[in-house]
Amino acid sequence: MGISGVVNACVHLQNSMRASLGLTSIPNTKYNLRLALALHRAGLIASVTRGGPRPPPPEALLATETEPVTTANVATRRLWLGLKYWDNRPVVLSVSAVSKPSRLVTATLPQLAKVARGFPVGPIKGLNLGETLFVSTDRGVLEVREALDRKVGGLVLCRVS
Amino acid sequence: MSVARPAARRLLSGRLAAGSGAASCAAAPATATCHQLGFAHQFHSSPQLSARRKPRFANVRAADMGLMDEKQIDQFTKEQFPKYTQEEIDHLRTKYSPAQIAALEAGEAAIDPRDLTVQGRLRVDPYTMPYIDDFAETQPIIDKRAKNQEAPDPLARFMNMDEFTADLVEWADKFQEGEVTGKLKTPADFVSDEFKKKPEGQWPGEVREAAHKAFQSYLEGEMSKQAANPEDTSGPTDADILQYILERSGMTDKNRTTDSSLALALPSKVPGVAGMYKNAIDPEDHGLDDIGIYQDLKRRTGLRVKDILNLHSKQLVQRRVANQTRLGKVQKASIMYVVGNGNGWLGIGEAKSTEPSIAGLKARLLAIRNMRPIRRYENRTIYGSVTAKVSGTVVKMNARPPGFGLRVSHRIFEMCRAAGIQDLAANIPRSRNPMNTVKAAYWALCNQPDPERMAIGRGKKMVDVRKVYYGGATL
Repeated sequence: MGISGVVNACVHLQNSMRASLGLTSIPNTKYNLRLALALHRAGLIASVTRGGPRPPPPEALLATETEPVTTANVATRRLWLGLKYWDNRPVVLSVSAVSKPSRLVTATLPQLAKVARGFPVGPIKGLNLGETLFVSTDRGVLEVREALDRKVGGLVLCRVS
Repeated sequence: MSVARPAARRLLSGRLAAGSGAASCAAAPATATCHQLGFAHQFHSSPQLSARRKPRFANVRAADMGLMDEKQIDQFTKEQFPKYTQEEIDHLRTKYSPAQIAALEAGEAAIDPRDLTVQGRLRVDPYTMPYIDDFAETQPIIDKRAKNQEAPDPLARFMNMDEFTADLVEWADKFQEGEVTGKLKTPADFVSDEFKKKPEGQWPGEVREAAHKAFQSYLEGEMSKQAANPEDTSGPTDADILQYILERSGMTDKNRTTDSSLALALPSKVPGVAGMYKNAIDPEDHGLDDIGIYQDLKRRTGLRVKDILNLHSKQLVQRRVANQTRLGKVQKASIMYVVGNGNGWLGIGEAKSTEPSIAGLKARLLAIRNMRPIRRYENRTIYGSVTAKVSGTVVKMNARPPGFGLRVSHRIFEMCRAAGIQDLAANIPRSRNPMNTVKAAYWALCNQPDPERMAIGRGKKMVDVRKVYYGGATL
């Protein structure tokens, strides 16, 4: 799957927010999980729960897993994302993928620093008010400011605002 | 000496006049005319005549023709214009009031009958009235209708129930003929003596009920008695009743007939209503709004007239619009105004009218009503970047650092100035329709992202680093 799964997850997340869903699911992949956890750390989604094909009960959303993953059920696992709303409006208004399977966009640390200050670098537009960028680094998927803290660059996954 | 000068000419003419006068007077002394002639000015060039001009054909006097024979005049006068005899005067006294008689006598004394004979004549000129009239009676076609009746009663009002009943009884009393039927009984006639003196409200329930039942049956009996006797012609006829309905006045004017069907006009100040039907000028306005244009706005917005007049307003768009009807095109002016207080409030208003000035006024008042607060970062620019689209017009706006200025198109410039934004970049990449540009810019200014809200939504603490450095001092 690789990056295409992340791109699909980004689009699905945006569509779900615009449809005012409370809970949605994306395929259970390591890439998706890392991105979902990064989004959760940034406060953009409410919860990340690994569950089955049916939505987990509300009380299970507080846990990270409804049941242990085994070889028997791993194929049916999905990541259930709780979506956030504030003041009758979604917290996430748009999620747009930067890297695509046809073009992977990477950014070095100085480039990321420029982008975070609002200046464009190559195909990456500068960040505006309320925008964040998610970067896949060798320390996992990080938000751009986390990456700057840890002084790592990497593959730019998506832009969320 | 120049005679052209007025002073010299005056002096010269005076000298000549004095000289000639002195000379002629010496030749023919003691003649008054000589003195007058000496000072007479000639205003025309024709020679002066020495005496009155004689007519070429001598006129003949009336007296010479025997027309002015005094005897004949007196005789004619006595025959044609005799004085009133005592009998006639007495008869007139029966017809006229003493004041009118006095006026008649004064008129008789003022005109000499001889003058009527000598000077009076019947007119034969083309403008003569086609009848001989002493104006004793009015002619409906020629004269205006005489207004002999009184004016409507100024104090008349509609009758209340009691007055109406009294009026009806008064009318009905005119028809008291034939058999007297007597007075109708009342419910009090059907109760025992102890209740008769008490008012009906104090009767016990069963007594009152029984009394009403008896009274009802009594009324029905009376009705059937009348119905059994249709030959009874006493009382008003149908025509009388119709006349009562159509012609009887419903007011308290005692059925007064007048020449006018119009009641008197209302006085300038109707007691009890004075001050309630006309908007008084508010003394708080200090004479700024005597016409009352801003009174409604004042009530809606709570602004003072002084503040309303101090608002920054600008006409941004004007165009002619036409409504095609079957009678042709109805042209109107459509005007868009922007109003702001220069400190974060902005409103736009759009109005149409056949009169451009009225459309402008309406648009401005609407814009003031539509004023809304605009979010401003550091009271000088907007938050982040906003994009708005109205129809094919897209307006993109970006916040800019202090001192950047307003690098925007002229309409957005006026909007920024009215709202109190000093640093802004905006571009209109697509259609530049004026009206849609203004609308899109207004939408963009009203829908800026809110960092506080984002921070709350994400559960993050937000710090504006511009307020961290330099001791929090900003421009």
